[in-house]
Amino acid sequence: MSEKITTYEPDNSLRKGYPSIFGEIFNELKKNRWLTFQLFKRDFFTIYKQSFIGVLWAVIIPIVSVGTFIVLNQSGVFAIGDIDVPYPIYAVLGMAFWQLFSTGLIACSNSLVSAGSMITKINFSKKSLVIASIGQSIVSFLIQFVLVVILFIYYRIEPNIAILLIPITVIPMMLFTLGLGFILSILNGIMRDIGKIIAVLMTFLMFLTPVLYAKPTTGILATVTNYNPLYYLVSVPRELVLNGTISEWKGFLIVSIASFIIFIMCLIVFHLTETRVAERI
Amino acid sequence: MDEGTAIKVEHVSKKYCKSLNRSMFYGVKDIGRNLFGLSSHSDRLRESEFWAVDNVSFEVKKGETLGIIGPNGSGKTTLLKMLNGIFWPDEGKITMKGEVGALIEIGAGFHPLLTGRENVYINAAILGMNKKDVDEKFGDIIKFADIGDFIDTPVKFYSLGMFVRLGFAVAVHCEPDILLVDEVLAVGDTSFRNKCYKKLNEIKSEKNVAIVFVSHDLYAVEKFCDKGIFLNHGKNKSYGEIHKVIGDYQVMIRQLMKNQQDVTNPLFEKRFTKEVKITNVKFLNQDGKEQKVFAFGDTLRIRIEYEAENIIHNPRFRIDVWSWEEKLISIFDPHLENIEIPFINKGRGVIECLIEKLPFLENRYYLEIGIWDKTRTIIFDYWAGNINTNLSFDILPNRVSTTMGQWTPICHFDSRWLIDEKQLDRT
Repeated sequence: MSEKITTYEPDNSLRKGYPSIFGEIFNELKKNRWLTFQLFKRDFFTIYKQSFIGVLWAVIIPIVSVGTFIVLNQSGVFAIGDIDVPYPIYAVLGMAFWQLFSTGLIACSNSLVSAGSMITKINFSKKSLVIASIGQSIVSFLIQFVLVVILFIYYRIEPNIAILLIPITVIPMMLFTLGLGFILSILNGIMRDIGKIIAVLMTFLMFLTPVLYAKPTTGILATVTNYNPLYYLVSVPRELVLNGTISEWKGFLIVSIASFIIFIMCLIVFHLTETRVAERI
Repeated sequence: MDEGTAIKVEHVSKKYCKSLNRSMFYGVKDIGRNLFGLSSHSDRLRESEFWAVDNVSFEVKKGETLGIIGPNGSGKTTLLKMLNGIFWPDEGKITMKGEVGALIEIGAGFHPLLTGRENVYINAAILGMNKKDVDEKFGDIIKFADIGDFIDTPVKFYSLGMFVRLGFAVAVHCEPDILLVDEVLAVGDTSFRNKCYKKLNEIKSEKNVAIVFVSHDLYAVEKFCDKGIFLNHGKNKSYGEIHKVIGDYQVMIRQLMKNQQDVTNPLFEKRFTKEVKITNVKFLNQDGKEQKVFAFGDTLRIRIEYEAENIIHNPRFRIDVWSWEEKLISIFDPHLENIEIPFINKGRGVIECLIEKLPFLENRYYLEIGIWDKTRTIIFDYWAGNINTNLSFDILPNRVSTTMGQWTPICHFDSRWLIDEKQLDRT
């Protein structure tokens, strides 16, 4: 019977060479499926524990943001643009997709830091930890989706059957979030500034991306939006739910492919550097 | 690597950084270099770095237990973490054969808001078990932890002891080929600790598991380990058979304690004046025959041979008996028996301390012997032993120690028992 032999040396992963890395990563992910699921479940079930209003926290942020925008729009301070469905549905749905990205990225980038004591004491797959932390954003997404359903009923609008495709259309966004999350979690493990920067950046990016307003047609913001990958990741799933169509499939396709490449590259970087974090966290 | 070898550590070193800011930038730099396929030159020390583990080598065979001992900050845990692969060595090479299980900190990874039951699954997953294993062993784990109804309570309401019970239960049921255990059993109560050692012994002998054990409890290390390594400031100070390693460690502790004592104790003004020198110490039996091993209840004669430069009035002789785990067991001093030695003549002489019916049980004991002047302000000579020098003697096992096993006390005295006769009356 041949036994598994593990060796540890300085610059361990480097020594083994780049080609073997893919196999290593694949095997590790495969072997740790159950661990990932357990951690996912843990994050999923504990996010709103020991909290009085519990899951309602998930809908408070969208309700407050959307409410603010409605007030701003009515008082003429800010124009949300032309939208052919009731604004609350458009905005809440957009917020749900946006938050899937933003809470996901924040959770990922904090995943190593918040598990710091565990990382320095047990050797386990840190990839699982990052992947599982997505669980938190999925919970709030599902809760916000209940709000969306309530709005559909309130406005007596029937969502398109393409609503069932949501799980597929959010895959690129998940990969994009995870990819960035891998890198940011490592950097955050070494320099805590990263976590704070991300929190600030998320608010800024949300206003930069047409989540709560219609896609601008003129001006700098229109150009920025055209090159903003987040726009495609949010608006395409939303359009699919509301109209059952994808008008900007080309942009979405490019962003999807890019997301996949980013995910793979970041995963490799993470694999090469993850043990460095245990020393510095 | 030999067939029977489970762990091989070759010239391993690890450096740490004392400054948080530098640590951050070194971290980014090392990661950057690695990504571009460059070596991080980990073998060089940069500013404010130091070697936490410095050129350590050892080997552990299957079914063997290695104890790592040393003072705080000597690199024991760092070494253990490298064995587990939590981080890589900066120099040298570690080879591990088989699945590795680690108990570096019990309950690491327990989520405070989840129940014991939920945490067992998560913790087991973190320790590398799969669902099937956990389902199978769940009953055993709960039984071993023995925390009753608390299994369905969030672990934040657990006592430290319960935490340890559950954590240990999970870890020990992972069935690794190599088990790394850091100072984790210190928290549990005696009966649980006993149970843990029993379990560890069981997996060691039945499953042929190699165990690396870090502890400050030298008694446990001595009972439990075959081999030892003594680290100080990250360096290997002693390695080999466990008794020898513990002895070397005790020499160092003794030295440290003595240094502290010298500074703080103004009683001893002049030390080791050598006006009277101890020339030899012998352990004799009843018949005056020299021996090193005695049985419980024997007569022990400790003979001190000395040489005086002058006539000394009212010298004070004193013998301290220490058990090997550094406990002062007894002091023999003529003064305590109201015996005064009026003087000793110039030249060689002998004095003997006779202890009848030794109350000591199976263990190793050692002596510290000193000769003072009458006010005890001057030490003429002082011999301090440790368990390896010839100032030590052994007591053989007897009925008490074989019955009590690792819970053998130091002493035993005859006891009489009075039983109420009515209870013996069956009718």
